[in-house]
Amino acid sequence: MIDVQGLRKQYGDLLAVDDVSFTAQPGAIFGLLGPNGAGKTTTIGCISGLLKPTAGRISLLGHDVATDGPASRRQLGVVPQELALYEDLSARENLLYWGSAYSMRGEPLNKRVQMVLELSGLLDRANEPVKKFSGGMKRRLNFACGIVHGPKALLLDEPTVGVDPQSRVRLLDLVREQTKQGTCVIYTTHYMEEAENLCDRLAIIDHGKIIATGTLAELRAILGERDVLRLTGLFDPTTVAEPLSRIDGIELVQAEQDMLTLAVANASGRLSDIFQALATAGAEVRETTLTQPSLESLFIKLTGKELRE
Amino acid sequence: MGFVWSTALKDWRRHRRDPVALVLWLGIPVFVGGLISMASGGRSGPAPQAHVLVADEDNSFLSGLLVGAMSQDAMGGLIQAEQVDQDEGRARMAKGEATAMLVIPRGFAQAVLMEQPSTLELVTNPSQTILPAIVEESLSILVDAAFYLHRLIGDDLREFAAGPAGSTSVFSDMRFAGISVRINQLLVRLSGYLFPPIVQLERGAEETVEADDADTVSVALLFLPGILFMALLFMAQGLSIDLWKERDQKTLRRVVVSPQHVLLFLFGKLLSGLGLMFVVCLVALTAGYLYFGLAFATLPLAVVWTLLSGALLMTIMWLLQLYASSQHAGGILTMVVMFPLMMAGGSFFPFEAMPAWMAAIGKRTPNGWALEQLKAILLESVEAGPFSIALVALIVVASVLFFFGALRLRSNFAQG
Repeated sequence: MIDVQGLRKQYGDLLAVDDVSFTAQPGAIFGLLGPNGAGKTTTIGCISGLLKPTAGRISLLGHDVATDGPASRRQLGVVPQELALYEDLSARENLLYWGSAYSMRGEPLNKRVQMVLELSGLLDRANEPVKKFSGGMKRRLNFACGIVHGPKALLLDEPTVGVDPQSRVRLLDLVREQTKQGTCVIYTTHYMEEAENLCDRLAIIDHGKIIATGTLAELRAILGERDVLRLTGLFDPTTVAEPLSRIDGIELVQAEQDMLTLAVANASGRLSDIFQALATAGAEVRETTLTQPSLESLFIKLTGKELRE
Repeated sequence: MGFVWSTALKDWRRHRRDPVALVLWLGIPVFVGGLISMASGGRSGPAPQAHVLVADEDNSFLSGLLVGAMSQDAMGGLIQAEQVDQDEGRARMAKGEATAMLVIPRGFAQAVLMEQPSTLELVTNPSQTILPAIVEESLSILVDAAFYLHRLIGDDLREFAAGPAGSTSVFSDMRFAGISVRINQLLVRLSGYLFPPIVQLERGAEETVEADDADTVSVALLFLPGILFMALLFMAQGLSIDLWKERDQKTLRRVVVSPQHVLLFLFGKLLSGLGLMFVVCLVALTAGYLYFGLAFATLPLAVVWTLLSGALLMTIMWLLQLYASSQHAGGILTMVVMFPLMMAGGSFFPFEAMPAWMAAIGKRTPNGWALEQLKAILLESVEAGPFSIALVALIVVASVLFFFGALRLRSNFAQG
């Protein structure tokens, strides 16, 4: 189990992570969903011991990360967002080296390396220098280096960024494979569909704060069955609220001069009412985007903005 | 130790697959050393000789002795004296045709014998550095010798210079024999001081070195430790850049989040660097021992000392890299430090060929200091007591720098 309580990380005036708390269970995938710069990698950095938290407590498989670092890291695997490989070494040499960093030696290490190479589909290229690999193969090896020692807890920091669809599917299968063996996984991503398909529990993070947490079903319940309707054009934020409030079941999530965000049940059937109300307020609608209930629409509802790439 | 060993092994593999860097580390010092060695005559070429123009305006017995002494025996190998007219000499010096010009003023002998002040003028060629220094030093020795000679047999010399008393134009046999016997007795008495045991040591050295060209062998031998330390500096600088590579390819972060301490990682890298240095030291020193006919009993000590010095240089370069703001800045910073260290520290020119003030500074640089110890090992002049202190100091300083490097690596550098 990975337990994070009141985590805070500050760089000078910048508060990168602000009072983040969550618990990730063994045999399950806990997703940290948020845009770039939301604080996901900083959170992972603090859990892995790379960064020293400004405040808060992190317990990793029963070990306090601050006071019992090496013991906590012994059962931890980390797959960083950027490739962390020796390009002039072969895949096998990379795995052997990173296995040795977790005190693995001799035959057990060789067997484990062979198994991980097979699992990641790199066995036939195991002895080639990594610099000859494709991007997807490097990603798989990057993942393999994180699990070569058979960790009980695994931190995956956007492991599928820049990966071709085929390699992405393979990587996600590898992650599921780990949880079947009882590994506790924390998975950060800004891909909604990945989070929806993979994660058992999720926390949505933005500007260093967790803004929602729960299972996928619990998070969807926050939205209800409402769609998210985004209108772009010319609006007067002070005058549009009143005519819209007369329509039942509409929530004005965000109002700006060039954009309105609304949460509306059965939005497609109520568009004419909405346009009419806006016309009375002197607004000019140029573009309409309707999003079905999803993590994406939840994120828009919670933050008033789309998940940025 | 398992992780230390696997880190060293990993780095050896990486270095082996980058043969260009290896060739450069070894090739540049050998190339530069070869050029310098050739420029200074190498082992088989003639020894450099200073060409000194002498304008003897005194034309006395004493000035003749001075000029003769400059071009006799050991000094004769270094200095070639040519008698010239003062005007001609100055004109030739202006054209840069000689190393130096010595002007012996009129009345020099009389002034020396009567203990009056007298000045010898030495004009040196500014386009040369080493040979004029040799001439100046030699002349200084001769002037000192003349002073002591005067102290000891001044009365006899004065009598000799004044000529026979009375109306006779020659000394009587008895008077001449008396002066000769007194000078001879004095020389016998002083022989114990004039020919101390160190002279016997030099004779011993002549026997071990090839007979015909002993001086040039010694000069060439002086270049060996310098070139070796140049190679070590190049390697230390090149290997230090690897910290940035580890950081940029994010493998350093992976190490930090592993249960291993960065000290072990850094120690593995040090071991890997020392492995490469060991190969270089062993090859270069073995070749040097064979070439110069040195006593092989000191080879292990020379290798160990050179390796420990290499460790010190590596930790210095690491620290510079770890405190640099970027890889580019680190590269420039280490280069800016490395080249002056090479220049002053005896890698380009032996200390023996440097002006005294520069040699004094050079011997206080880390590589210059270590180089002097290595030279003492090679020449079998190392003393157990001071060397033990130097060894302990080297290990302590390298360890402290290593520890600070590891701290910096963990607390700051790896997070970048």
